[in-house]
Amino acid sequence: MASKESDRISSAQQTLDILYDISQLLNTGLDRETLATCVSMIESGVNPEALAAVIQELRREKAALTARANEKAS
Amino acid sequence: MPSVSASLTALVQNLVPESRNDERLASELTALCQEVLNSHIGQTRESDVGHLAELVKRHLQQTSPSGVSALRFTNLLSRLLEQPVLSRKHASILFLHSLGSSQHSASASSAFLPSLAPPPPNRPLPPATISKDLPAVSNKQSGKPKAQLLREYRAKIGRPHLAEALLLRDALYILQGISGKHVLLSDKRDSSEDRNLIFRDDPLHIISASNRTLIHRLAELGHLYTRVATFVQEREGKSGVGMIEQSLCFYLQSQLTEYFRLIAILESQMVATSNSEGADDAGQNPRDEETGLTLKRLEVWIDEWRLRLRMMSVCVEGCRDSHGGALVNLIHSYTENGDPFVRKFTDELLEEVSKPFFATLHTWLFSGELHDPFSEFFVALDSEVAQMQHHPIANGGGLLSGDGGFGGGSGDGDDLSGEKEGGLLLWERKYEFRKEMLPTFVGEPFGRKIFSTGKSLNFIRYSCHDSDWVATREKMSNTGGILQYSDIAGLERSIDAAYSVASQRLFDVFFDKFRLLDHLKALKHYLMLGHGDFADQLMEALGPSMSKPANTLYRHNLTATLETAIRSSNAQHDPPDVLRRLDARMLEYSHGEIGWDVFTLEYKVDAPIDTVLDPDGMIKYLKLFSHLWKMKRIELALSQAWMKIAGGARNFLRVPALTYDWHKVRIVMAEMIHFMRQIQAYCQLEVIECSWQSLLDFIHKKEGDLDALMQAHRNYLDRMVKKVLLLSPKAGREENLLNQVRELFQIILQFRDATDRFYDYSLAEAAMLDSEKDYGRGVYTSAAPTSERSKSSADTLAQIRQNMEEYGTSFSERAQTIVHSLQTHPDLDCRFLGIRLSFSDFYKSKRDLQQQKA
Repeated sequence: MASKESDRISSAQQTLDILYDISQLLNTGLDRETLATCVSMIESGVNPEALAAVIQELRREKAALTARANEKAS
Repeated sequence: MPSVSASLTALVQNLVPESRNDERLASELTALCQEVLNSHIGQTRESDVGHLAELVKRHLQQTSPSGVSALRFTNLLSRLLEQPVLSRKHASILFLHSLGSSQHSASASSAFLPSLAPPPPNRPLPPATISKDLPAVSNKQSGKPKAQLLREYRAKIGRPHLAEALLLRDALYILQGISGKHVLLSDKRDSSEDRNLIFRDDPLHIISASNRTLIHRLAELGHLYTRVATFVQEREGKSGVGMIEQSLCFYLQSQLTEYFRLIAILESQMVATSNSEGADDAGQNPRDEETGLTLKRLEVWIDEWRLRLRMMSVCVEGCRDSHGGALVNLIHSYTENGDPFVRKFTDELLEEVSKPFFATLHTWLFSGELHDPFSEFFVALDSEVAQMQHHPIANGGGLLSGDGGFGGGSGDGDDLSGEKEGGLLLWERKYEFRKEMLPTFVGEPFGRKIFSTGKSLNFIRYSCHDSDWVATREKMSNTGGILQYSDIAGLERSIDAAYSVASQRLFDVFFDKFRLLDHLKALKHYLMLGHGDFADQLMEALGPSMSKPANTLYRHNLTATLETAIRSSNAQHDPPDVLRRLDARMLEYSHGEIGWDVFTLEYKVDAPIDTVLDPDGMIKYLKLFSHLWKMKRIELALSQAWMKIAGGARNFLRVPALTYDWHKVRIVMAEMIHFMRQIQAYCQLEVIECSWQSLLDFIHKKEGDLDALMQAHRNYLDRMVKKVLLLSPKAGREENLLNQVRELFQIILQFRDATDRFYDYSLAEAAMLDSEKDYGRGVYTSAAPTSERSKSSADTLAQIRQNMEEYGTSFSERAQTIVHSLQTHPDLDCRFLGIRLSFSDFYKSKRDLQQQKA
């Protein structure tokens, strides 16, 4: 049982590695952790394109925040 | 779903680290994300991984054209697909891809001005999409794109643009010439040439101008398609459509099938689009636009076909008023095109279309048969001539071929008028060369060769009854490969080969089997008096009866005389086949003509020799004969007279009173003999032998075809006629010189008669002198001369003298005129005759003398 569990984990790890590679290749700018989160979300049935939009939104939000922070700082 | 929201929170915290401290911001963002996730972005169809992979690869190609990354992606993907863990690999890839490509576009331009960003080639801007679906957020973030504003405005006033997808279906219909729902073809069936497009605007939707233009452009194909399809259908139903046209139709049909295939593919694409789209009129789903069909894409897809259909339509147009070879010509004229596409298309088309042409060419070139049921070949059969030949040679009885074959010899050689419809007519008129039907890629010289080759074969087969040879040839040549358009060089080679073989064979047949050369020789020997002994014999044998009136002569007598002449001369060694053809007969005579005027020798030829020795030529031979025969007669008359004078000299020389007259007679006669000898020598040596030599040269060369042979023979004959008869090229005065010469002959004959009378008179005088002398010696040998008798004899003498004087001077004058006009004769040989006649400037000095006297 334990070996099967470890198998599953290692294969999941491999999968994640591959996905990360693809992600790098496509220049998505995701780190491993975020990617894992996203993949698990997709696996649970989230619409992938919507998720992509979410990531976009969040990044934009982040950019806006940083810009505002910079303005305040200056 | 709690796990999702948890993950979402983690995500938010991950990406926006500020939210870890700021609870409000975190919850706001999470809510926003939740909203986005619940929206309907990309509720896509079940598209397969392969397609997706293709999209990703294309994307990668664009970002890094080296192709390394695309390759790497393929590897990674295959490894991923082997992994058992994920259940939604496709979705993950899609996610990464959307993120990656949006990242790319975002990096290419400012995220705040999405409407100005250049659209990525295969994907519309997602930011714009998002801003539509999430107006609140995007309003916060950026201004709306102008197009979006416009669209919304239109929607507000209730006249949105008609969705492209709907138009797309109509466009596909229009490509096939069918009216659609929104775009109709005007229904004017009569003037089907220009059916207009009608856009039906329903009040709710309008069709935008750009789409209209696009559809107009697409509609051209529909129009062309209709035209071609109608043409093909028309031709299918009709009978009597030429083979070339049939193959054109076949080609067009296969092309149209290709076209349908393309349309079917396009349609399946469209169906895929509309399925996923459902009732979504706006058609704004980015996924669909990425993969599906739009009017613009349709335009691109169809573009190659536009040109192709245009070409086809041109062919169809050309087909309306040209036919057969001319049609091939028309198509061929498009192969001279710089555009490789057009060239390739026409080459293919021509390859297909010219097949029946080459099939016909093949049978024509190698077996001499014309299989051209729709008269498309550039050789046409004159059915009248073919019909005329009710020859028993079985010809397979092909209904369509209509090829009656050359008729052979008609059997009875006596009927000259029947003979006229013989070989020559068949050769010249049975087949006709139609230049306008000749494909230009063959070229006219080759066309002529082909024409002549087939004609020769046909002729060998049907007129020379040598079909075995032709059949063998055909079998042999069949192994030499097929003629086709793409191998023009090979075609030319085979044409050349076939041509030389056929004409060689035709020559052989003519010269070996039908002994043309023997016949030509016979004509030269008999009709042109080449056999001197024969001519002399004939003349001698005929001489007495020739002076009788023509109506007292009988043909059987003539033929008997001819027979005798042949027997008693070297002519008897000639082949019997030649002698059999020789015949003597009388021309049509009128009252008062004597035998000399109407007698003629004749040489009978039958088919197929009469192709070369045609009736016209025979008439020329007869003309020559009659002239030469006259000359011969004069010559004979003169030589007989000369002999008489020379022989009788001892009789009349005893009459001293007449010695001077006899001297004068001899001078005149010598002049005449000189004239005749020169003119005869000229005819035989300068003209006939020279022409014969050039004809022989031609024959030995064995070049050219039957036409060339006929031409050579005709030249030979024409040359002789022109020079022997001293014809001048001046119109209306061709025979001036000839008439003068004939008059001269007449004068010589008259002079000879006068000389004969004078001879008789001299004899009588001499006898009288003798008896007078005897009387003086007291010997009475005859009655004593009376004064009346001497008076009458003095009158006769004066008369005879006057006659001889007259004839002598008129001969001299005429000979002088003749020499004079010969000197200015345009023909060099004739001029040379003039020089010969007056070699020592005899006539010139005479004229000078006269002028001095005057």
